[in-house]
Amino acid sequence: MNLESLIHAQLDGEITREQHARLDALLREDWQARRLYLELADLQARLLQQPQIGTGRLPQDEKPPGPPRWKKFLPALAAAAVITVAFIMWPRESTHAEATSSGVAMLSQMLDAEFAQTTLRSGDTLAPGTIKLMKGLAQIEFFSGATALIEGGAEIEVISAWEARCVSGRVRVHVPPAAKGFLMHAPGMKLEDLGTEFALNVRGGASAVHVFEGEVIAHTAQPPASLKEGMTLGQTDAGFLPIGDVHDLVRQRQERRHAEWQQWSLEARKDPRLIAYYTFKHWPDDRWDRLVNNFTEPRRPNRAGGAVGARWTQGRWPGKEALEFKRPGDRVRLNLDGTYDALTLACWVKVDSVDKKYNSLLLTDGYDNGEPHWQIYEDGSLMFSIMYRPPDASKSAKHNQMCFSKPVFTADSLGRWHHLAVAYDNQSGSVIQYFDGEEVSREISSLHQPGRPITFGPCEIGNWGLPTDGHPFPIRNLNGAIDEFAIYGAVLGADEVRTLYKNGRPE
Amino acid sequence: MSDPAPNAEDLILLLTRHQEALFRYIFSLVPCEADARDILQETSVALFRKFDQYDATRPFLPWAYRFAYLQVQKHREKAARSPLLFSEDVMDLIANERALIEPRLDERLRLLDACLAKLTPQDKELVTRRYALREGAEEMMRRFAMSRRTLFRNLEMLRQRLHECVTRQLETEGLA
Repeated sequence: MNLESLIHAQLDGEITREQHARLDALLREDWQARRLYLELADLQARLLQQPQIGTGRLPQDEKPPGPPRWKKFLPALAAAAVITVAFIMWPRESTHAEATSSGVAMLSQMLDAEFAQTTLRSGDTLAPGTIKLMKGLAQIEFFSGATALIEGGAEIEVISAWEARCVSGRVRVHVPPAAKGFLMHAPGMKLEDLGTEFALNVRGGASAVHVFEGEVIAHTAQPPASLKEGMTLGQTDAGFLPIGDVHDLVRQRQERRHAEWQQWSLEARKDPRLIAYYTFKHWPDDRWDRLVNNFTEPRRPNRAGGAVGARWTQGRWPGKEALEFKRPGDRVRLNLDGTYDALTLACWVKVDSVDKKYNSLLLTDGYDNGEPHWQIYEDGSLMFSIMYRPPDASKSAKHNQMCFSKPVFTADSLGRWHHLAVAYDNQSGSVIQYFDGEEVSREISSLHQPGRPITFGPCEIGNWGLPTDGHPFPIRNLNGAIDEFAIYGAVLGADEVRTLYKNGRPE
Repeated sequence: MSDPAPNAEDLILLLTRHQEALFRYIFSLVPCEADARDILQETSVALFRKFDQYDATRPFLPWAYRFAYLQVQKHREKAARSPLLFSEDVMDLIANERALIEPRLDERLRLLDACLAKLTPQDKELVTRRYALREGAEEMMRRFAMSRRTLFRNLEMLRQRLHECVTRQLETEGLA
């Protein structure tokens, strides 16, 4: 057995006493052997700890953003872009890994859905288990590609990505070719899908199935029967679940939420504590297409922002716009005048991945006294800091007051809209951060001294404009989208932050 | 010592942030998952007991590694007769070597995700069953209708491919 095989046998716990003694000797003799061992052991440790594998969400292939000619002009940016590709954020908490590692399906759309056991949200990953839908409609997308629409009351057991059981209720299932072989159990029958769309009604222990398209093999007490388009097996007095108007209903619901938010926003923007309020409304008649208007009432057009690189995309609802930050150059430039005693920053953001050491929310250019920096740290925590350097201090020493929340961006919260907020006042020095309206950190820096003023000046949303010389982490663009950003010159209380969240949440 | 409550909170934050790195360190010395997890837990307790000695201006990990190393030694004493433990001098050599190349190991992990994405569906299935669902060897042998030897040979080749893929990526980036 060669060195490599010995190492692998050790890592798999499949090594004999003699082989282990040989490996021990090889590692003692040769530093290169130790190096190879360390690399392979580290790889194994990572695989053992990486919960995202468990959800079936292995990282997707990505192309490096940005045209190759950047390499010629901006080697640093291009290198960073390549680095960006590979790095997908993953949570470290092992209890969390337990929760997501057995996922086999996800909940996609819901309409007035109420579940018996838990508060499930759309986008949640489902582990094998029973789902009791009390009322409303819910759509389950199995990782195999099969999709099931369920009407409450229903009881469905999710067995695996390839298998489910309908205990009771009305279900409609779509199985694309890739998920051929998907199995649906029902009382008295087992349905094997050969790429189909069919509906199943189960009531009082009796099942009825109707095929809308394709073919289903029904296994019952009788020999297996092939059901083709238009065929029905079993008796039912209820109609089969229609598909057509569900998506319309979902759209109507979204439009209503959007309108409700708009109504609220028209009042909220009159808050005199606002320094600036960006709703990322795209002006079709803006010929340059780069204006990010400040909507505070009364208007302060001098605090409007300018988008650089960032592209318009859909926000929390269809019809609501957002700016998407993807490439190292993407940003929104701002210049906010004034000096303040307190601040609250609040935004709606969809983070696609935490792929850099620091991922920008709002940062001032450079990092001078009294300037706040708000970003997402590499472990998914919110990080607020403010700089106060004593006049006699050396440039290299750390004088910024930093506060971290617990990690909030984990595999489960990526790719969804979340509300973030931070409040700070320069008397108490207390920094409170919020995630979806809930407090996630409260801290007073040991470096705090009361009464030092807060300023913004030139600053950016989604990136860091003019880093200080020699800083090691210059590429900080957010990987995600922002569709509302409010900056207040005062502290908003916990109730007020919760109100911001409640009035803006997508569902 | 001041109020202990914020201290404990600070430690929890630090541990949450660094527990993956700590596990990797311990696992390199004791490459058996269950043992490494036990040692990680004992290390956390030791860190908790001695946290009042931690100097917050210094990096946390090197400090924590010292505790982890001591716990590894304790584990050695308890399990001295286990055939799968490295000799003490070899463990020392590994720990020293690891300190030297830690930034490089971090770099490698960063590239691993892209390599995982390039695996064939069969390999992905193998990774998911083995590492995420923690299926036992017997179960996997049944599932894939493989002998024990073939199963572990396949796992070996899979990790070897990942290792080579990462090395290639490093070379393309010119960082190797």
